[in-house]
Amino acid sequence: MSIHLSSPLIQFKIPIKSRAKTRIKSSSISARLDSSQQPDQQLNLSVLRFTFGIPGFDESYLPRWIGYGFGSLLVLNHFVFSNSVTSAQLRSEGLGLSLAAFSVALPYLGKFLKGATPMDQKILPESTDQIFVMSQNISDTLKEDLAWATYVLLRNTNSISVLISFRGELCIRGYWSTPDGLAKSQLVEWFERQIEKIGLSDLKESLYFPQSADSGIWEMLPKETSSLFVQPVIQTPNPSAGEMEKIEGFVLLASSIRYAYRDKDRAWIRAIANKFRDLTKV
Amino acid sequence: MEAGNIFYTTIPWNLKRSFTRNPCNFRRFIRASANLQSQRGYKGPKPSKDWVADWVTNNDDTVRSLPIYVGGVSLLAVLFNRTVSGIAPVADASSSQSRADLLTIALAVTNILTGLVWLSIRPKSITVVNPEGVECRMISSHLPDFIVSELLWAWESLSSATCSRSLVVVYDSICILQIGVAAQSPNDGEVVTVDVGKLMQGSVYQGVMRSGTQSYLANLFLYPGRSELPFLPSNTQAVILQPLGDKGLAIIGGDTIRGFTTSDQSWIAFIGEKLDATLAKYSNTVSLVVEDGISK
Repeated sequence: MSIHLSSPLIQFKIPIKSRAKTRIKSSSISARLDSSQQPDQQLNLSVLRFTFGIPGFDESYLPRWIGYGFGSLLVLNHFVFSNSVTSAQLRSEGLGLSLAAFSVALPYLGKFLKGATPMDQKILPESTDQIFVMSQNISDTLKEDLAWATYVLLRNTNSISVLISFRGELCIRGYWSTPDGLAKSQLVEWFERQIEKIGLSDLKESLYFPQSADSGIWEMLPKETSSLFVQPVIQTPNPSAGEMEKIEGFVLLASSIRYAYRDKDRAWIRAIANKFRDLTKV
Repeated sequence: MEAGNIFYTTIPWNLKRSFTRNPCNFRRFIRASANLQSQRGYKGPKPSKDWVADWVTNNDDTVRSLPIYVGGVSLLAVLFNRTVSGIAPVADASSSQSRADLLTIALAVTNILTGLVWLSIRPKSITVVNPEGVECRMISSHLPDFIVSELLWAWESLSSATCSRSLVVVYDSICILQIGVAAQSPNDGEVVTVDVGKLMQGSVYQGVMRSGTQSYLANLFLYPGRSELPFLPSNTQAVILQPLGDKGLAIIGGDTIRGFTTSDQSWIAFIGEKLDATLAKYSNTVSLVVEDGISK
């Protein structure tokens, strides 16, 4: 699906691989510890990065599996191989089981540490197709901006679906669970009714569901949705004219992984939403 | 030598907020649950506060060493248990007590190793270096409104979402924007303006335009070409050079070494393409006007 822009002067040169060339090889998350620069740690701890070398095997979940495995061995030992259980053994096993529970929880805690990379991959929904629809009768500049913004949001964040609403005009892109057999114009109306039902146009503050939102209300979202972020587009009031804050629209993003939108992602999404805020001034 | 001493310092969460120029609170989803009550429009669900995630992000260093303490204490507890119950601390798998103890010790060791791994992947705490210079805001006067607003939007996005402190946009051999902190000339204390001719002949500009892709100088101090960017504050830590098509270049200066993440880099690349498309529209309009003038 593509949008035909009437102006031939616009070219979007978007390369497939937009990788930046780093002159100085370094990453913002430094895993190297130079022992010469750490006066309080003599050990070079980076040797402890442990890997089996199996591709696709995530070692950060290892404590969880060890916890499950050894916990079950403890239980097995208690019930099958013990003739009489002393209180010392009970204490030992209690300690072991709580340690196992703690190990199981460790990968979950580790996800929130600084420098942790998200482990889950984006799961693309299999059932539905991608859609790209836009309201009719909108100006070319707005069309271009909506197309660009939706494209960039899908590329740069972990999203599988995006919906931008601006002054009642919609642009919808990505995977959505829509009823079958609707024509494009009817799709837009269907989305408008859904938004009306939830009342998203009146949202004043941004909304972030890091884990699955209550999907009863959000029936338009694909069922693989795990995180949801809604950022309203608010026109800053002109104090001299005595205007109130006006809500011009919102940007809605859904992702199939949990905790998909970190602070930096949300800051950039806010920046994209501000692009539409500025459109009201021009 | 990297800037500053790489010491073990705790960066409190509040300090991170001062990096961003956005005055709004990032933690909106916490306040959303209170404010949504008053909105008659929104009828959807409210997100609940995520205690665990908040606690971990606030106490990053404690959580990193937590498994080590838990593992260490458990090891001692196992030994203590053995001595208290009068069993000799011998590790053999013959009795069920020993087996239970061995499993517990193995779990404790796993915890200690995980804690050590977490400590080893702690990101280096890089300090912000405030750029020395003067605030400036120079926009080329002959630009139409829509371009000015787009440029200002780009600057506002960069300064609020990344560690950028200076932005210079050169297009069609003219410096159309110089905003943020700029170097101060030692003679009269005024802003050092961009000498576009000199810049375009320099190796930095040529190199980037030849490759056509973004160039990230993560630690400007180590890069000899920084003398070609005299308009940026002398203690700018990182620079991103983003080509705008074939005709322009955006130079973004940041206040932290390696301060731009890969996600920032890709966002900047897309913004560069958008700016190029907008500016190309304008320069085509201008060249059409000029051609009309000549043909008349």
